[in-house]
Amino acid sequence: MSIEEQKSQINGISLILIAVILFPFAFLLMLSLGRRWAYPMLLPAEWTLDNWQAIWGGQAGLGESLLLSLALSLSIATIATAGSFWVSKQVAYHRNRQRWLVLAYLPYVFAPVILAACLQYFFIRWGLSGKLGGVAIAQLFITFPYGLIFFTSFWTERMLSLEQLIATLGGNTWQAYTKVLLPVAKGPILTCFFQLFLISWFEYGLTALIGVGKVQTLTLKVFQYINEANLFFAALASCLLVMPPIVLLWLNRRYVFSKVI
Amino acid sequence: MRTTAHRTPHTEMQKTSTYIGLGLFFALTAFPLLLGIGYALLFSLGLAGMLSEGFTSEHWQAVLGSESFWETMAFSIYVALVSIGLAVTLAMLLVVRWPRTFESTPLSFFIYWPLAIPAIVMAFLIFQLLSKGGALSRLAFQLGLVDGLSQFPDWVNGQYGIGIITAHFFMALPFFLILYTQMYSHEGLKGLMQQAFTLGANRRQAAWRVAVPVLLRRSFATVVLYFLFVMGSYEIPLLLGSQSRQMVSVLTIQKLQRFNLADIPQAYTISVVYSVMVVALVLWLLGAKKQV
Repeated sequence: MSIEEQKSQINGISLILIAVILFPFAFLLMLSLGRRWAYPMLLPAEWTLDNWQAIWGGQAGLGESLLLSLALSLSIATIATAGSFWVSKQVAYHRNRQRWLVLAYLPYVFAPVILAACLQYFFIRWGLSGKLGGVAIAQLFITFPYGLIFFTSFWTERMLSLEQLIATLGGNTWQAYTKVLLPVAKGPILTCFFQLFLISWFEYGLTALIGVGKVQTLTLKVFQYINEANLFFAALASCLLVMPPIVLLWLNRRYVFSKVI
Repeated sequence: MRTTAHRTPHTEMQKTSTYIGLGLFFALTAFPLLLGIGYALLFSLGLAGMLSEGFTSEHWQAVLGSESFWETMAFSIYVALVSIGLAVTLAMLLVVRWPRTFESTPLSFFIYWPLAIPAIVMAFLIFQLLSKGGALSRLAFQLGLVDGLSQFPDWVNGQYGIGIITAHFFMALPFFLILYTQMYSHEGLKGLMQQAFTLGANRRQAAWRVAVPVLLRRSFATVVLYFLFVMGSYEIPLLLGSQSRQMVSVLTIQKLQRFNLADIPQAYTISVVYSVMVVALVLWLLGAKKQV
């Protein structure tokens, strides 16, 4: 097979795969714009923007859920990134580094909803059940270990040497962080921030259990609409859930997903 | 003397930082997990909770002796094995056969898009596509393949978990495609394959003897972690599973939220069994990684 033929084959496969990838997004958008989709019609009988206009309407409460989810995920991503960046340094340079890391892996691979089930009693006891603060703390339990594992590989011998050099040259800890470590870590920090944002943004089981349905994030809204058999609003809430990650991806896929892999 | 005087406050500060750091590490990582599993264990043994009447192994006997529990564990393992097995196999085949396809400009961007779909949205999508009233059923009707809803197969909420497996498969496939595309270039597989061809191997031999073993070995830990993730998944089986055959997370939460109070200790027992399994797998995985 000539190089030209190979190239056209690859282009053909690429086009088919791109169409397959875009189909779910187009399907969700179609449903979010539709009304009256009776069997066996392939497409909805009516097309309308009313569903989208209802986002900020009082009844649906989708706008509030969107803002709540954004605020929660941004806060979690900020706190967990900052916290895990600093703590990972203490763990990475500790003589028992491997032991600590084993402990960090466990909540990372543990099913969040089972962790929430085991901790639910304490959240009720401490008055955190059904509260935004409770959901935030519970989400920290799954995002923080992820950030910790993520950053541990950043603290290498080279970083230690850099820090020692700063100390030798008379720099203090604050200067070491602001002038050297944070600028060097800018890329990994952004990657970790976006990924922790996504973990929190996608979370359902733990949020539903600790929030007892009162902390209505977008994932809970999707589930609520599915239960109510309101597939058009479920599709609309799904579109809202999918949009921020796509925007982040558009901005820079290197930061958003590179280390997930 | 001067050096010691200079070092002491610095070392002290470092020590304090280490203690605070490790304290935070424990508070946010190990403590919640130990607290949760510890409470679940005590509850399952009748030593904690409002219903506790002293030590008993009754709940453990009930769970470990029940057929439905082992069926749930087997079903969870089956779903994870089939969905991950299919995704890993197809991703590997595609990358080894057309390694440059996923590096081409438009696809290398779009291949990341499916990672932006949360589990609950994927479950909703699969339901709308594969259920009896879904898009595929409508298409089958329009093409004259079925005469109505009832003739369309039970792919969603069925006994074999086809809907759950499909959802997990479509979530895992892009992930492994990206993973293997990156590994293919990082591990210099193009050169290794070329070398195999020079030594007389045909395309199939080069793929099976060179590319696949390298990719499998390098991705082994990720595959096991993904397996655990699928086994413990909640939203997808909750929406696409059946009432009679449940996955472990769904069964645990249902037992916890039922009105029958006797089910609660059983929910905690299942949580402990699942935890032990996860911990054992992770320790084994880390041990195996160390040996490599």
